Amino acid sequence: MTDFDHAAIDEILHSRVRLAIVAFLAGAKTVDFTAVRDATKTTDGNASIHLRKLEDAGYIAMQKRFVARKPQTLYSLTERGRQALLAYVSHLETLLPAAGNKPQDPEVNR
Amino acid sequence: MIEDQAREDIAFIRRAIEEGGAYATASSPEMLVWGIMLAIGYLGTYGFVRGWSPVAPGALWAACMGLPWLFSLRRLARGLAGRGVTNRGPMAQAAAMLWLGCAIVLTTLATAAMVTGEARGGWVSAVVAGVMGFGVFASAWLVRLPWLRWVGIAWWLGELALFALRHRAEALPLAAALMLLLLAGPGYVLLARRGRQAEA
Repeated sequence: MTDFDHAAIDEILHSRVRLAIVAFLAGAKTVDFTAVRDATKTTDGNASIHLRKLEDAGYIAMQKRFVARKPQTLYSLTERGRQALLAYVSHLETLLPAAGNKPQDPEVNR
Repeated sequence: MIEDQAREDIAFIRRAIEEGGAYATASSPEMLVWGIMLAIGYLGTYGFVRGWSPVAPGALWAACMGLPWLFSLRRLARGLAGRGVTNRGPMAQAAAMLWLGCAIVLTTLATAAMVTGEARGGWVSAVVAGVMGFGVFASAWLVRLPWLRWVGIAWWLGELALFALRHRAEALPLAAALMLLLLAGPGYVLLARRGRQAEA
């Protein structure tokens, strides 16, 4: 048995799609809806649902604007979302053997 | 088992961050700046050839290549100094270095062709288009933007057209159109998708 604590898992980020969105935004900074949808290889509806959940959790920020008279929705990671991602990665790292390959991701650890 | 899952999750996160970083690299304003300036260079040269413009091509191209270089070098210096947008991950760095290499090749080739008078042969524009196609096509894979591959293919079709027209002045406006449509255009699309604050 490990000392794995299920309660410590961030339920918001435990979804693969939401985790992918948050990680993608960590690298891309600010992108529009289409870029998020394409990066996560999901449908419009599915992406919308997950983005809404992340927004409700305060992990991402949404901003609307017009480009060439067309509405555009931009998303970016909030500080809370970045901290949640860091905590999630830290939690995963606790599951790895201490002498093993501890991942060093400069972006995650920034 | 749970350790394997944790490793897999961390690798998944790393890939997603890498993809985001590569996307940010592809969405730089350099495509827009270079595309517009090179189009001005071609149109100005066409104007000179036709007698509509008094500006000599040498001075014009010095400005049209020098200014984008200054812009790119300033961004590079800001990135190295830890300000502005930095490259993220090996794929993003590969894409940035690919374009730096392409820019060096094209600048040295164009300069040598102008100094030696070879530019009058008209083949330089076709070579430029071929290198642009290579850069765009390879970037499409590196930054995972499938639609960009078609832009690379369009550059290669443009290369053939420019080679066919190499002895005619009409190759110059065609090259300008390619720069606007296939370099500045995608640059604008990528920038618009990325958001306005990114390069501030």
